[in-house]
Amino acid sequence: MNDGRLERSIGLVLGAGAIVSVCLLAVGLAGMGVAHVGPLDRPFPPFDLNRLGSDLSALKPAGFLWLGLLAVILTPSVRVLASLFGFAAAGERRMVAVAAIVLTAICLSAALGAGG
Amino acid sequence: MLELLLLIIGGVAAGAFGALLGLGGGVLIVPLLTLGFGLPFREAVGASLVCVIVTSSAAASVYLQRDVANLRLGMTLEMFTAMAALAGGLIAFMLPDRVLAVMFAALLLYVALTMARAREARGAAEAGGARNGAGAPQDDGRAADADAERETAATEPAADGGLAASLSGPGYRVRNLGRGVLGSLLAGIVSALFGVGGGIVKVPVMNLLMGVPMRVATATSNLMIGVTASAGGLIYLFRGGIDPYVAAPTAVGVFVGASLASRLSDRVDLRVLRLLFIAVLVVTAAQMALRGIG
Repeated sequence: MNDGRLERSIGLVLGAGAIVSVCLLAVGLAGMGVAHVGPLDRPFPPFDLNRLGSDLSALKPAGFLWLGLLAVILTPSVRVLASLFGFAAAGERRMVAVAAIVLTAICLSAALGAGG
Repeated sequence: MLELLLLIIGGVAAGAFGALLGLGGGVLIVPLLTLGFGLPFREAVGASLVCVIVTSSAAASVYLQRDVANLRLGMTLEMFTAMAALAGGLIAFMLPDRVLAVMFAALLLYVALTMARAREARGAAEAGGARNGAGAPQDDGRAADADAERETAATEPAADGGLAASLSGPGYRVRNLGRGVLGSLLAGIVSALFGVGGGIVKVPVMNLLMGVPMRVATATSNLMIGVTASAGGLIYLFRGGIDPYVAAPTAVGVFVGASLASRLSDRVDLRVLRLLFIAVLVVTAAQMALRGIG
């Protein structure tokens, strides 16, 4: 894959990620409006991956909000992963290593965040 | 319901201001949420990081498709911004809110000062005087582009030539990679501590120290911001520092505001807007400092 194609593909990944995230957040916001949930209501629903599926199937606003927020936060990681495959296909070993280190840093953040 | 609308409108304003002035919007979102809505500082930072990622993804998508951002340089520096953001995220949960508020006030003053100096430099250039240090992210880039290109042409390849050469782009040669790494580390910590993109550090470093033209530096910084904020954001996410009820409306508002601003930029007097923004930053910094101290 040449440079231009790789960068355009990664650009598409980022653009799609942003649009999907914002759409999910918008659905969650509409749900908040319907359920009369205020943004300053306390306590806010905690992030819990195990509850995400059930919240979504029950059409709870929190499910869509958390899925949207996850999509926001993970979009750059997906971009890095796509870059890694792109660089691997192009035989750019140094950039593959760079992408792998960036992904490792992101995973470490998740691990340290979850561990705290 | 009114609060929901106000958050969305606040996000639209922050996104539009940020996009028009070349900032990520984080410097506005944190004060909006803490001073305007009474949120704890860390929750405001968590929400701001989400907003910063959304705008970064949307903007970087366009920059990559137009072939403006330097993907290889961005990813190389991202290794350091991400690691530093990880550290910054952990530090943020150790420091008291008040200390963070005072440090944030100092950051706001720094941004205001940088913008004011860029304005003076531009005024001097327009008057035919000598140009100096027009390296702020909000600069229109022409003066700094010329400076960087002239310096690049005059500078011999750095000792890190092999790697730097492979990261260079058409018409410019990357140099001073070591300084770029230091700047990236600082930007990563600042991003995770205060919920900003860190472009205020990265763009001048890339442009003035590394010889990257302003347009490319801004685009590449935008690309990097997503990963940096994501590394910090994951720590906030897992440690309960992101309130979905606040982060979601603000992020949607910021996305809409930034999109609108790109269509309005030709019709807005940026000089007036910049002056207004500097005044807002100074007042906000004072309020933040008072909140921290008092």
